[in-house]
Amino acid sequence: MISNAVINRLTTGVPGLDDVLGGGLPEFSFNLIAGQPGCGKTTLAHQLMFALATPERPAIYFTVLGEPPLKMLRYQQQFEFFDGEAIDRSVRFISLSDDAMAGELERVLKRIVDEVAAHNPALVFVDSFRSVVLASETDGHPHNGLQQFVQQLGMLMTSWQATTFLIGEYSTETDANPVFTVCDGLIWLRQSVQRNSMVRKMEIVKMRGQPTLPGLHTFRIGAAGLEVFPPASVANPVPADAMAALQAPRLLMGVPGLDAMLGGGLPSGYSLLVAGPSGSGKSILAAAFLAEGARCGETGVIAAFEQHPNRSRSRLVADLIASGQVGLVENRAADLSIDEVVFMLMREIRRLGARRVVIDSLSGFELALAPTFRDDFRESLSNLVTTLAGAGVTVLMTSELEDRYTDLRFSPYGTAFMTDAIIVQRYIEVDSRLRRVMAVVKVRASAHSDELREFSIDAGGIRMGAMLADHEGLLGGRPTKKRDVDPKARTTGPR
Amino acid sequence: MSSDPSDEIAASLMRQAGRGASAAQVAESVAATCREIEDALTPIVGTRGVAALLHRSAHVAAQTHAWLSDTEPGLPQTVDLRALTARLAHQSAADAAAGGALLLHTFHTLLASLIGASLTGRLLRSAWAPFLSSTPMNTSP
Repeated sequence: MISNAVINRLTTGVPGLDDVLGGGLPEFSFNLIAGQPGCGKTTLAHQLMFALATPERPAIYFTVLGEPPLKMLRYQQQFEFFDGEAIDRSVRFISLSDDAMAGELERVLKRIVDEVAAHNPALVFVDSFRSVVLASETDGHPHNGLQQFVQQLGMLMTSWQATTFLIGEYSTETDANPVFTVCDGLIWLRQSVQRNSMVRKMEIVKMRGQPTLPGLHTFRIGAAGLEVFPPASVANPVPADAMAALQAPRLLMGVPGLDAMLGGGLPSGYSLLVAGPSGSGKSILAAAFLAEGARCGETGVIAAFEQHPNRSRSRLVADLIASGQVGLVENRAADLSIDEVVFMLMREIRRLGARRVVIDSLSGFELALAPTFRDDFRESLSNLVTTLAGAGVTVLMTSELEDRYTDLRFSPYGTAFMTDAIIVQRYIEVDSRLRRVMAVVKVRASAHSDELREFSIDAGGIRMGAMLADHEGLLGGRPTKKRDVDPKARTTGPR
Repeated sequence: MSSDPSDEIAASLMRQAGRGASAAQVAESVAATCREIEDALTPIVGTRGVAALLHRSAHVAAQTHAWLSDTEPGLPQTVDLRALTARLAHQSAADAAAGGALLLHTFHTLLASLIGASLTGRLLRSAWAPFLSSTPMNTSP
């Protein structure tokens, strides 16, 4: 009979971290949480400890020479996860500063052994491990002593069945450091600074025995502690009924006449790009799309990435949000990452069981992202669209488009190919008036109208008009009247 | 139960002095409480951490009772309860009780200002226990 060791995985209690770790934290593992000062190591350690520790699975938090314990307790209790009631019940803080100041690793190790033997913890934290290293360097034989120390500590903790975390300040992971070799797990926290923007990132450099998610994962530290944003595709697997949603009937746009142009409405699960110049009516079309959903009993979500959200939001959308039929995702925090935006969207979609999503606008969305992510905006957008499509929702995105009459563009981001459908709006000049036209450029795998139709906007929203069949050169912005007009074409457009 | 036991501590020490206890006996009560504090906090903040807190408390309390001032120069490395006991024992029993109560009250306030009243109460529960359990019945004639 084969009976391999079973590695239990602990649920860390840090949102998103279990996904990044590849399914939780291996029990009895010997881990290093590393990074530069201020990157969130101690906060992560405390959050893990308060989530994992119970009276049956107690924790010891050893402080060495770093942040004074009183300061640490003072600041950490500002987080919601800090539970004062747990102290001396399931969580025990022990200072090793007196031992560490003597500069003898043996003495520090002996103290740890004594305390572990006395209290039998299932979780052990040593903060900061770096100060143990520095203290050891003062006695003249830095690395030999350290390697022995780490080996012994690792062996002790494993045989004591304790999941262990060493917290250490390291500025570079390329240092040849025996700790990196000995540890089972290496969680590296970083702060990426670009101009005035700072983005926190986490990398699981190693975690023995399980498939972690490679690469850098953004995280944020808020009142509740750390929140990690794993890649959208992992955090949001395609639900079984998502494909069924694609078979569902088409969604009505809420603009009479436009559904016919789309070939009977927008196919469920599609992504639609509405491109047009400033003021052309993109947001009004988006609002109509959400309102039509609400009328049909479908909830929606709007991601509004505008500089002045209250000023730019229409009364219709504000009412839908107030009634609870539409959820709102705003860029309240600075320096967003694409994974965080997807996380916020998916949380709102799940909360409401939403079927319609509006992103208004892509330009605002790009500005809301931290500069470090803007270079990858196109790729990020593709991930976003894929994830939302995977969730079975139908997405309408608006895109600001500079009106150029020398070429026909649909998006400044080259995003046209990512979307399943495109509607373009443009201004034209007729009889010294600025008039609007709209066309359906693309509906993937579906017949659709090729008409360029005039439309107007009034208090009731968008009103689709007829084709300007007696004009030509509309896309040039300054159409001219045809000399010889076929009377039939004035009333019925070609299909 | 209030997390700030200052009133109970002061009342208890004053009762002790009122019953005719000597300044040395009052000093020993205060020192015993300091030992409990030391035992409770040393594992968490280290010997030097506790010594620094007590040193600061004595400094603040000395503004009212100048004789409480810790005359040891430099950064305190250990908690010197013998010196504190000697300073208390040199006063009258009533003054020792008042000074000792102020010192302990100052210590509680100082720690609570750093880590909050809730956590302070939790960590020092064992130190305050003798004062909080001595009900008026024990001392009534």
